[in-house]
Amino acid sequence: MPPKQRAQISSTSSVPPIPKSITSTSQSTTHGKSSSTSSFSSKSNQSAQDVLIDLWNNYLNTTPQRVKLVDVFMAFLVMVGGLQFVYCVLVGNYPFNAFLSGFSATVGQFVLTASLRIQTNPENKMEFRSVSHERAFADFVFGSLILHFFCVNFIN
Amino acid sequence: MVAAALEPFMKGDTGRNTRGLLRLIILCTIAGAAVASRLFSVIRFESIIHEFDPWFNFRATKYLVQNGFYSFWDWFDDRTWHPLGRVTGGTLYPGLMVTSGIIYHILRLLSMPVDIRNICVLLAPGFSGLTAFASYLITSEMTTSPSAGLLAAAFMGITPGYISRSVAGSYDNEAIAIFLLVFTFYLWIKAVKNGSAMWGALTALFYGYMVSAWGGYVFITNLLPLHAFVLICMGRYSPRLYVSYSTWFALGTLASMQIPFVGFLPIRSSEHMSALGVFGLVQLVAFVEFVRQQVPNKQFQTLLRGLILVIFAVSMGALVLLTVSGVIAPWSGRFYSLWDTGYAKIHIPIIASVSEHQPTAWPAFFFDLNLMIWLFPAGVYLCFQQLKDEHVFVVIYAVLASYFAGVMVRLMLTLTPVVCIAAALALSSILDTYLVANNPTPKETQPNGQATGDVVKNATDYIKDSLRSTRNPVLGIYSYISKASVVGAVTTYLLLFVLHCTWVTSNAYSSPSVVLASKLPDGSQHIIDDYREAYYWLRQNTPPKAKIMSWWDYGYQIGGMADRPTLVDNNTWNNTHIATVGKAMSSREEVSYPILRQHDVDYVLIVFGGLLGYSGDDINKFLWMVRISEGIWPEEINERNYFTARGEYRVDDEATPTMRNSLMYKMSYYNYNALFPAGQAQDRVRGSKLPAEGPQLSTMEEAFTSENWIIRIYKVKDLDNVGRDHASAVAFDKGNKKKKTAKRRGARALRVE
Amino acid sequence: MRWLLSLTFAALLGIVQALSSSGSRLLVVVEEAAERAKYSTFWKDLEERGYKLTFDSPKNDKLSLFQHGERSFDHILLLPPKSKGLGPALTPNLLLQFINKDGNILLTLSADAPTPTAIFSLLLELDIHLPPDRNSLVVDHFNYDTTSASEKHDVLLLTRSSPLRSDARNFFGGDGALAFPRAVAQELGNTSPLLAPILRAKSTAYSYSPKDVVETVEDPFAIGEQIALVSSMQARNSARFTVFGSAEALEDKWFDAKVKPVGGKDSKTANREFAQQVTAWTFKELGVLKVGSVEHHLSSISEESFGNDSVARLGYLNPTIYRVKNDVTFNIEFSEYSYDHLAPLKIDPADALQLEFTMLSPFHRLDLVPISTTANSTIFSSSFKLPDQHGIFSFRVNYKRPFLTNVDVKREVTVRHFAHDEWPRSWEISAGWVWIAGVWITVIGWVAFVGIWLWSEPAYDKSKGKKMQ
Repeated sequence: MPPKQRAQISSTSSVPPIPKSITSTSQSTTHGKSSSTSSFSSKSNQSAQDVLIDLWNNYLNTTPQRVKLVDVFMAFLVMVGGLQFVYCVLVGNYPFNAFLSGFSATVGQFVLTASLRIQTNPENKMEFRSVSHERAFADFVFGSLILHFFCVNFIN
Repeated sequence: MVAAALEPFMKGDTGRNTRGLLRLIILCTIAGAAVASRLFSVIRFESIIHEFDPWFNFRATKYLVQNGFYSFWDWFDDRTWHPLGRVTGGTLYPGLMVTSGIIYHILRLLSMPVDIRNICVLLAPGFSGLTAFASYLITSEMTTSPSAGLLAAAFMGITPGYISRSVAGSYDNEAIAIFLLVFTFYLWIKAVKNGSAMWGALTALFYGYMVSAWGGYVFITNLLPLHAFVLICMGRYSPRLYVSYSTWFALGTLASMQIPFVGFLPIRSSEHMSALGVFGLVQLVAFVEFVRQQVPNKQFQTLLRGLILVIFAVSMGALVLLTVSGVIAPWSGRFYSLWDTGYAKIHIPIIASVSEHQPTAWPAFFFDLNLMIWLFPAGVYLCFQQLKDEHVFVVIYAVLASYFAGVMVRLMLTLTPVVCIAAALALSSILDTYLVANNPTPKETQPNGQATGDVVKNATDYIKDSLRSTRNPVLGIYSYISKASVVGAVTTYLLLFVLHCTWVTSNAYSSPSVVLASKLPDGSQHIIDDYREAYYWLRQNTPPKAKIMSWWDYGYQIGGMADRPTLVDNNTWNNTHIATVGKAMSSREEVSYPILRQHDVDYVLIVFGGLLGYSGDDINKFLWMVRISEGIWPEEINERNYFTARGEYRVDDEATPTMRNSLMYKMSYYNYNALFPAGQAQDRVRGSKLPAEGPQLSTMEEAFTSENWIIRIYKVKDLDNVGRDHASAVAFDKGNKKKKTAKRRGARALRVE
Repeated sequence: MRWLLSLTFAALLGIVQALSSSGSRLLVVVEEAAERAKYSTFWKDLEERGYKLTFDSPKNDKLSLFQHGERSFDHILLLPPKSKGLGPALTPNLLLQFINKDGNILLTLSADAPTPTAIFSLLLELDIHLPPDRNSLVVDHFNYDTTSASEKHDVLLLTRSSPLRSDARNFFGGDGALAFPRAVAQELGNTSPLLAPILRAKSTAYSYSPKDVVETVEDPFAIGEQIALVSSMQARNSARFTVFGSAEALEDKWFDAKVKPVGGKDSKTANREFAQQVTAWTFKELGVLKVGSVEHHLSSISEESFGNDSVARLGYLNPTIYRVKNDVTFNIEFSEYSYDHLAPLKIDPADALQLEFTMLSPFHRLDLVPISTTANSTIFSSSFKLPDQHGIFSFRVNYKRPFLTNVDVKREVTVRHFAHDEWPRSWEISAGWVWIAGVWITVIGWVAFVGIWLWSEPAYDKSKGKKMQ
């Protein structure tokens, strides 16, 4: 039964892109300030902390839960990958194949997850007419399985 | 060649099932034609492995089938590169062997025991059928007209440029690699179009297969990033591109690293760096896009764009730095020679010595591609007209492949698919315009379509889509005369093309080169089978561990047919070892003999075409031996010494002493005088009269000379039993006795012991 | 050394019936029956040692060294002919062919009978030089027999030469004076390692040409110790060729003659003993090495582990392929033939029997040490670790010493690289644990993510639904 539901939703969601564009513009207005923190070309006089908090809240409010989940996972991957890289720089990459597979597992997973995020992000609906969310997720699982197989095989 | 029998096809409205079926049938017949036209060699000669490299692949496949995959993987081959041996399992692209091994086992499972040799012989034709299918798929992605796809398939099936490397028996990596190349590109385009991770992953998988099959995978490795890069530069970045490229790169790189031979290359060598760089770029662009989606600020965008450029420049600099410092391997020689055609000739004679690596002669393009060579630009132009993502790909592919094909004969192979695609696009648009589109409502088919199967088929395929193309303002050609003339011309061209392909295939590309054919004066065919005669002589008359030295061209054949250890072979991984053989061949006997002894050489095999006029012999390759060994021992071997004072390369009376004393010269012409009346000896390749007195050999003895003198085998003598040098031993045997102790001059050398 | 000497004496005493290791058919080429009779003691000695003597004249048409491509004789003893040549059956080429087919030749020369050109050129091929004047003889004004040659000084009295090298075996030692009447000087070429002098002249000797006195004075053919009176050539196939400078010294009359050196006492010549030594060596009763079994195997597998199971033994012995860094043991069995039996080989402490493990050049060169002896052989052994280089290697024992037959044993083996499953697994390398952890954390994280994703489906729907409205 769930598949049916989902299918319906996806089919309906693909029809009206207009509201989404509205939300995105509304987002961007709020983000205009936040982005200034990174670029320091701000026109606002808010302190950086406020901007960050603002951005964070905005993110929490406007992002679908699943996308949030994806973001958490991506952050996790960045952390794991970063740790490995730092370790490699500090200690050395002695079993080079192990380092490669360890590091590229996180990178690959990150990229795949990013793809999933892009595909499932409602904002990109226009781009991916042929890719439903379920399809995207299946692709993601497919790609990840291949990735994991290669990594485990490569690490020997 | 392609199926005809399509009179009652005109029920276009009965549904697409009929058309689908028809298309399937046409594709099958195209595949059949592709396979059939590659069987000339089997019919003319026999089911035999061709040329040089295929013999190694065949031997490796036999090993794989006999010993299983794991021992193939760990195969240490002690019958090549004596005495170094070769870690074969780790230094080859196993895709081809594994493919035919799998086919072999599947057939056995189906209780159809087929000799592995036949599988190997027929693998290339079989895969050419698949290639035709793949090119149908990829062309269909380019255009809405299905006739283009079918035309591309037909072109791909019979174009000589591809047949040259895939006739039955030419069991080489390219046999499956071209299919994989085209199919990978198809998957890639599919991935870019749909932005689907699955297609991207499939692209990566087939890319991995391609990596396992052919060193030419680097072409894909660079073409896909270039495509992505160009798209980004054109401002066409899309999340679809991100998905497809990232998925492909992440998975494909890992997949390629699973091949032992490739190993860490994808992150170590410069050839792969563009892919890595573009991957980084795509990530950056994606990140910027992500931010940009939220920020409409123009200034900010430009700032970010600047940031990207800076990061790109910095990473480029880092790359250069890493390359200079040696962390990343610089471009390999073969790739340098792609950019600078003179490079190999100066620096790496061993690469330049391979005829496949020579620049392509202009007639070769027409010879291999025929009418497609002028349809090709038209097709590329059509791509420019539409210029969607996939068309950009074709354009880039066309530009790059044309360049590479111009640089190296061998890379004509990578050009062929894109030429077929572009030509099919052009031709189908001509046919679409002229064959049907007169009025928006022509329900009846044109009667002039019965000319040939090819055209009719295109017509049929066209019909169903004619409506779409005529949706535009009606610009149709209304005159039947112009229609008929154009269609007639095209038909004639196509017919000529088929004729040309058949002729080229049967005459130029179907010779196994192991067996030579010649025409007798009365027109009958005469088979010259010297190679196999000699190899079987070796097989039956020498001990199984006898080491055979020959120039590297024949290493694989000796290994495959004679089953004897060789010193060097066509896998030219060790330049020094090859140079050693070159030195032994090009030095005086006194210098060569210790080298031969040191390497345990028992027999020396040379190819001599002087009697028959066979131009691919060792004397003609001799200068390469000299050059290659000069690269290692410049103070001992000097190329200049082999030319006469006037700079001529001669073998007759005027040949230089260095030339006439070289082992190769001596072995080639030893006893050759005996065939002719005194003073009449003639070399038919060089067209020169030989010195009245033939060369003397003292360190070797003639062991075997084949029927037409193409192969000559010499046995290396052991050291003289009583400690003389060989020259005096030979002189003594001939009856020249030393009469007196040579008058000693100067102080006596006293024996101290 | 001592046991060898004692064996030599035993042989001399005629207790042992010796038999050459390479056959007993001996052809004696002698022109006339009268000549033959002069050497009767010599013949008797040879026959006692088991040789079957065939006397033939070089003029005999039926004489042939080969029959159906095989040697008809095992050894040849050439006495100096009276006539100029040696006939068609004994051309230099045929004699050389005889040597190449493992036949041994003892050639005797005499200054009385000019050396035939054929012999001369044969010797030149072997890098042994004779005086250009065929009548030259060796004269020594300090070491001559005063009883028989008080005028001409052409009967040399000699003691045995000292051993060639400190580590070389001396088969020709002994006491007593040797009388060499009217000897022909030989000079050995300087380059050939196959040549070795057995007996050298004293430093005061010189080669004298009666015809050309001026030449003798100004440019003598050879002088002093450069003159070899008995010289040997052992070919690569270990066939032996000895030139005996004075045929007369083998005659009966010199076997038991009394000689008196300058200012010395009368003594009996040791010619007979010396002749025995020279013939015994030339005809391969002495100094013949024999290689028995040659084995190599992984050191980790010992013979005991298989006991008497011959099938299992076959499996581990002499494999054709090893892996780099394997520990390998190499055993070789050596015997030495002395007069009539094989005895265990003993290596002089100053010398060494060495094993090479070689590809193009030796990667290892190791001393082989005796580990056990059987009744007639010694087993030498060496264990070592194979180099970290794959390729086609050979175990090679190359033992070539003066007066011993050449030993060059080569066993080819392949040394392969590590197979894919012989590398340490990733978890055995502690440095790799971090990365392994990285991979598995990623995988586990992924699984968790997938789980949560699927589980969070409804929530997503809800948010989605909200948005839609």
